[in-house]
Amino acid sequence: MSAQRTAQEEDPVATLAEGLSIWVGKLSDLVKKVVDTGPIRNVINWARMYSLWPVNITTACCSAEFGAASGARHDLERFGVLPIGSLRQSDLIVIEGTITKKMAKRLRMIYDQMALPRYVIAMGDCAMSGGLFHDSYSIVNGAHEFVPVDVYVPGCPPRPEALEQAIIMLQEKIRRSKVYEQG
Amino acid sequence: MSAPPKPPPLTTVESTETSDSGAQTLTLSVGPQHSGSGHMRLIVEVDGDIIVNVAPDPGYVHRGIEKIIELRNIIKSIPVIERPSIIDASNLNHAWVRSIEEIQGVEVPRRGQYLRTLLNEMNRIMSHLYWLSIYGVFLGHTTMFMWPLGDRELFIDLAEKLTGARITYSYLVPGGVRRDLPPGFAEEAVKRTEYFEKRLKEYDRIFFNNPLFTSRAKGIGVLSREKAIELGCTGPTLRGSGVDADLRKDEPYAAYPELDFEISTRPDGDSFSRAMVHMDEMRESCKMIRQIVKKIPSGPIRRKAPIVLPRGVAYGRVESARGECSFYLIGEGGDKPYRARYITGSYRNMAAIPAVLLGNRLADMPTAWWSIDYWPVEADR
Ligand code: SF4
Repeated sequence: MSAQRTAQEEDPVATLAEGLSIWVGKLSDLVKKVVDTGPIRNVINWARMYSLWPVNITTACCSAEFGAASGARHDLERFGVLPIGSLRQSDLIVIEGTITKKMAKRLRMIYDQMALPRYVIAMGDCAMSGGLFHDSYSIVNGAHEFVPVDVYVPGCPPRPEALEQAIIMLQEKIRRSKVYEQG
Repeated sequence: MSAPPKPPPLTTVESTETSDSGAQTLTLSVGPQHSGSGHMRLIVEVDGDIIVNVAPDPGYVHRGIEKIIELRNIIKSIPVIERPSIIDASNLNHAWVRSIEEIQGVEVPRRGQYLRTLLNEMNRIMSHLYWLSIYGVFLGHTTMFMWPLGDRELFIDLAEKLTGARITYSYLVPGGVRRDLPPGFAEEAVKRTEYFEKRLKEYDRIFFNNPLFTSRAKGIGVLSREKAIELGCTGPTLRGSGVDADLRKDEPYAAYPELDFEISTRPDGDSFSRAMVHMDEMRESCKMIRQIVKKIPSGPIRRKAPIVLPRGVAYGRVESARGECSFYLIGEGGDKPYRARYITGSYRNMAAIPAVLLGNRLADMPTAWWSIDYWPVEADR
């Protein structure tokens, strides 16, 4: 073992790689700085803003209004919001109402499996604070208890217009934020 | 899985008992996040791609509504009762007020009865349209997702005019309804239902007569008449299996005895028949709405009812969009019930999910599953 280690320490390739990785680390810091201050940030944020794909997960009755919002007339797709079945390809969870204790674990699991950056919209009074069911024995009072929430939408259920406004607010938030600090 | 030297014979449903050796079958967990819609998990055991065992895992939306009702007074409970099936709110509300009125002994004026029936039928259409649009999601048919949701807005606007809310009305209260017909409602209702009936023909053209759908639905998920009765199914699921059972005819309530409508049944019991029962019911509901706005009598819409629940027991039930919805209510003299047992259509139809899936291929699961019209929120309560 020790012989191997000595051999490695003396290995010029390993030394070079080490030096290179320090250099690469510095370079990546530089790249981050450049990206976050320059026009590249605007381009990346623009792309993220208009391709918010929510994952297909419904928690309670607000899903009826989410359905209405993504259907004809309200058509969330004009904001770039297209519900999708696969969580690996999605950027957004819209928590649609009451979160039961049984569902909260699964929601956290889904959140953890999603790729960065990821955003959360808590839709409905139930997802904000328990709402109508605040005194129930089987629910979690608010989505913030287990995931970070970006936008809250009040209402029971919120009208589709309110959800549209939430999407616009989230897009505004993304537009202003730094590329490497999102999600 | 290591490949066996010789492919094993496909297991049929009859030999399910011998297939749980673990060697031949694969257990899949579908949900609660899946590419359809609905907060429901199915644990499916497949042999090749034949489903040999299904265990539904409900309870993701169990909010303890029966307990909450015991803590609120009977008027404040109305929004809570609507929430399980928010797309069919007024039918559930109707079951609740019927059971209260039975204990209180309050008579509802005839105009109030008509207005209740009007909203019930509008809700039935909205609920069926929502079901149909989610069927589109399940089958990957985007047009069928968009069209019904767009047409549903016709009736949502109408209901908003009548009640002031898009989908959560709280319109039915003990003793009658909250608001009278707004001016110009009748003409608007006739116009919209007539337009909608024309749209239904287009639905037939693009979806129900389309081989994309028929080849995936005909003969898939068969639920025989005997099995449907044995499992205690209700609503369109039961009528799709050829049983002529509908509370609107069998035990007429509100304004239904005075209306002219038919109960649709289909004998085959497959996914296609259940879908067609939904379509027929929407047509009948359109007819009923037009009859109601024509026939509606004048008079008061509400009779004063006390906010106390006298000592007594009542059982109120109605035919909601997904089947029979009932309350078993025990009053003890206060403004809160002592106990309210709440049974909904989806809860009873859950038993049919394994029955329709067994023996089908995994790829047929979305068609058969969603044809039951299972709304998890309503089932879990
Ligand atoms: S906010 Fe209202 S509509 Fe939304 S989930 Fe809660 S009870 Fe249901």
